Amino acid sequence: MEDRMQVVVSETSKGEERGRGRGIGAAMDVDEEGRYTGKGGVFERLGTDRDGSGPQKCKKSVFGLYYLCGLAVEGYILIACNLHEECTEEDIYDKFSELGEVKNIHLNLDRRTGFTKGYALIEYQHFKEAQSAIEALNGAELHDRLLEVSWAFSRGPLGTRLSTRRRSEK
Amino acid sequence: MTENEEFYLRYYVGHKGKFGHEFLEFEFRPDGKLRYANNSHYKKETMIRKEVYVTEAVLKELRRIIEQSDIMKEDDSRWPEPDKTGRQELEIVLGNEHISFATTKIGSLLDVQNSEDPNGLRNFYYLVQDLKCFVFSLISLHFKIKPI
Repeated sequence: MEDRMQVVVSETSKGEERGRGRGIGAAMDVDEEGRYTGKGGVFERLGTDRDGSGPQKCKKSVFGLYYLCGLAVEGYILIACNLHEECTEEDIYDKFSELGEVKNIHLNLDRRTGFTKGYALIEYQHFKEAQSAIEALNGAELHDRLLEVSWAFSRGPLGTRLSTRRRSEK
Repeated sequence: MTENEEFYLRYYVGHKGKFGHEFLEFEFRPDGKLRYANNSHYKKETMIRKEVYVTEAVLKELRRIIEQSDIMKEDDSRWPEPDKTGRQELEIVLGNEHISFATTKIGSLLDVQNSEDPNGLRNFYYLVQDLKCFVFSLISLHFKIKPI
């Protein structure tokens, strides 16, 4: 049991809160051999050069030699929220490529309606471009809506990041 | 919806068959840690274990998707029980609400229509697809892998 993922819940769910569902109270112990024992408990994580605030780079898509040359091809991922349901990938590309070379866009659809779900993930190759996209486009208008743009990944746990705290104080 | 309210999400889908225990599971912890596990033994595939920290913006979008789905109002008491075909678990803590649902695998909307609680199960069915889609995008962009 200790190896399973819902360990956190048993900590957070104590108290008077009322739960609902088959898994409440009765442990969902279907896997007597354990899902996360031995090698199964080792999770890969990309290296962090320093802890705390700041965006996390994504993995290099080419082999490490480029990294040694300083030509790292890692990217930086942003999330854009509050998108209009009819927003297209082209709209996102047009908007974000003004700030730098966009390497990748994921614009996922709502499975029920077929329209855009409301968020997009955008990858830039360079930190500076990604940073300037946040500065320029967070709060910018697209289809009569205000874009919410920020980093998608962080180097460490949320509590330690000062940037979040500053933003929520506004 | 506040940024500081309690939040946790875990989804599991799996079965035990001739390739052993094959499953996919992911969770978002309150501190932003996203963990992703995929065990497939088919054609000697190895297990995949990934973890990364996401920002408050990602958690906020996740909460929006959950709230929009109305899943916190559902109940799994009339959903099909987990069985030999497989098992799905969805556990969410949102503020002072806590759900922990378990049901069998859902092949298509036909299974949903034929169930005793088609409306509730449909909400679950679509939410799970939207969640998987979100997580696969996050994991594949960050780790440059194709998770499925």
